[in-house]
Amino acid sequence: MWTNIERYTLIITEKPDTAHRVASALSKKGRAKRREEHGVPYYLAERDKKIVVVSALGHLYTIAEERKGRNYYPVFNFRWVPRYIAERGATRIRTWIKTISKLASEADLFIDACDYDIEGSVIGYCVLKYACGNKETISKRMKYSTLTKEELEKSYAELLPHLDFELIEAGGTRHEVDWLYGVNLSRALTIAARKWSGKYTTLSTGRVQGPALKFLVAREKDIRSFVPTPYWEIKAEFKINGSFFKAEYEKNKIETKSESDAILNMCEEEKGQVEKIVVRRFQQKPPVPFDLGTLQSEAYGLFGYTPKRTSNIAQRLYLEALISYPRTSSQKLPPEINYEAILKKLSKVHKYKKLAKELLAKTKLKPREGTKKDSAHPAIYPTGELPERELHDSEKRVFDLIVRRFMAVFSKEAIKQSMKVHIKVNDHLFHLRGRQTLKEGWLHFYEPYVRSEEVFLPPIKEGQTIKVKKLISEDKFTKPPPRYNPSSLLKKMEETGIGTKATRANIIQTLYDRKYVREERMVVTNLGFEVLEVLEKHCPPVVSIELTSELEERMDKIQAKREKRENVLMDTVEILKPVVQELKEKEKIIGEQLSNAIKRAKLEERIVGTCPVCATGKLIILYSRKTGKRFIGCTNYFKGKCETSFPLPQKGSVRPHGRNCRGCGWPTVQVRIKGKYPWTLCFNPDCPSKKERRKK
Amino acid sequence: MKCVICDRMAGEEGYCELHAKACKSVNEKYHEWKKALEISWKEYLSRIIKNPLTGEWAREAAEYLVKSGETRSVKQG
Repeated sequence: MWTNIERYTLIITEKPDTAHRVASALSKKGRAKRREEHGVPYYLAERDKKIVVVSALGHLYTIAEERKGRNYYPVFNFRWVPRYIAERGATRIRTWIKTISKLASEADLFIDACDYDIEGSVIGYCVLKYACGNKETISKRMKYSTLTKEELEKSYAELLPHLDFELIEAGGTRHEVDWLYGVNLSRALTIAARKWSGKYTTLSTGRVQGPALKFLVAREKDIRSFVPTPYWEIKAEFKINGSFFKAEYEKNKIETKSESDAILNMCEEEKGQVEKIVVRRFQQKPPVPFDLGTLQSEAYGLFGYTPKRTSNIAQRLYLEALISYPRTSSQKLPPEINYEAILKKLSKVHKYKKLAKELLAKTKLKPREGTKKDSAHPAIYPTGELPERELHDSEKRVFDLIVRRFMAVFSKEAIKQSMKVHIKVNDHLFHLRGRQTLKEGWLHFYEPYVRSEEVFLPPIKEGQTIKVKKLISEDKFTKPPPRYNPSSLLKKMEETGIGTKATRANIIQTLYDRKYVREERMVVTNLGFEVLEVLEKHCPPVVSIELTSELEERMDKIQAKREKRENVLMDTVEILKPVVQELKEKEKIIGEQLSNAIKRAKLEERIVGTCPVCATGKLIILYSRKTGKRFIGCTNYFKGKCETSFPLPQKGSVRPHGRNCRGCGWPTVQVRIKGKYPWTLCFNPDCPSKKERRKK
Repeated sequence: MKCVICDRMAGEEGYCELHAKACKSVNEKYHEWKKALEISWKEYLSRIIKNPLTGEWAREAAEYLVKSGETRSVKQG
């Protein structure tokens, strides 16, 4: 610290990286100095006066029951406590809070510089109230959307006079309501299963997790009960000016084989006549700026990144001041962000130079904006700053996507032309379709991320006769509805208004962690089915989508001062009381149901695939009672029907891979040994690919 | 009473809630298959069992119907 006893301004940030950025941006006399106390870093800067910047570590405070212990429910009395009291393993938090308290004792001005959103506001408020000793009422607030020097300096110069107490109230209530739901329902399920089986398995559900699981189960039921129906598609191949073109029959789906056969008979070897040519020009508007949801959805579609991964990458880019605050639901780009300055900075990067200059040549820069708003932050945009380190591939991709999207929104519409040629063959109509881009517009700026397939047609005239070269009838079947993936589930949650932009991705991850779902195309496990069945049967209100989204609305109203925290909390307790009572009364039945589901889920995890020898049993990872060694055996062994077994590596972990071997089609397992890359093992001793490898 | 197909609790018709939904779907879709291909109930069941797009529970229901030899006339009721 400084040698003389002098009072300073204490700035609180949300994360250590932000503290470093803020201190560096505000330090006018040389570089900010890094200090450390008990492993907790803080930064010293000098400006108009001395400044100390210290960070929280995300949430330092959380909610806990007033009465100690985890083995009881219902729990309706709670208090805010330091995280190390409520969570095992959060010991680092103790020294963190101690250091902040010490720094606060010598400060005379307090500034909350945590992220300007619900979570950030709650984090800052708790630190100021509990760690700094009731300084929340006198604290000022820094509001910024990027971590660039200019914006941080501006934010420091134009401090908000006080914290946003409505936002804090709304955020705090959200935590409290979620805690009440989570702790009571999760404990009821976990305790019921443990009492029945004597074994502990964490089962959880929550205010948003239950309804999210409900979406998945409803879809899974439709898929598993699905019966496809046959239909036929007919295409005709025409020869035009020496080239061949495929045209579709006027009806997309032909429902009976007899009708399909009749069309084939009527049109085969016939000539067609061009009856009409319809040319349509249309505009394709530029995309709107990214809010977190659309960024997550785009990154999933393009790179296969889960929403949580995209959110983490975007957060890292934000902390390096490369992009604006990503947890936003805004699709607006206000002129204050200075479009021109950003584009000028981007034009210094070789790959953006030409594109940025094209935009800068425009007389006026006006972005196309979406309808979604966020009072705290604009849409996600690049700051124009360049990376100070080599970005990882995934970071490069997301950054490039954000930059190109930003440029695309300032561009013109794309102009496209479609052409539909109506060809009559013996009273049956076929459509030949062409498509081409006349003016690229924004497509040029967003190029690697947007595909426009061009289909060029030859010169053709109305009345022209053309020969049917070939008729193709394809046997088709209707398809089941698609499974949700993390991105489409997130979209569904957004549409139905459950969860927030900050929590949705984590909730989806929890569904995986609890083993309620597996695989990228989300397949609900037996455990997922059983948990939802218990909730639907015994406490339907907690999985009600309507009730959940209604509660979300009420919590939003707290922020707008149109609802009171006390009312929302009291109503939550009123909803939960009878539900928890019912769960307690039926603890035995529920415990049995869940225990059996856990047992089946554990077995399910060990199933490798169908036995290729007997074709009816399942291959499963087993452990020998005699030797303790693991191997693969067929479930039909226990029925005396199949003795198939294969050895497995004894080191590391082995789990079903869910994919079949390319060489022999047998199921495979994945082996993981610490310090080595995981590898796929085909346990078929006669696999042709193994033989080939041996030969080599 | 247990479901005739799986271990879950069964309702009045002998199926659990999940297989009852699947069975209903199998029964309802026969009408479309018959119209499309003019095939018998048995042939229909064998085709949907082989079809990879058929859902797991619908396939189990169809397999059960084949095994139990349940005729369409009963279902057509």
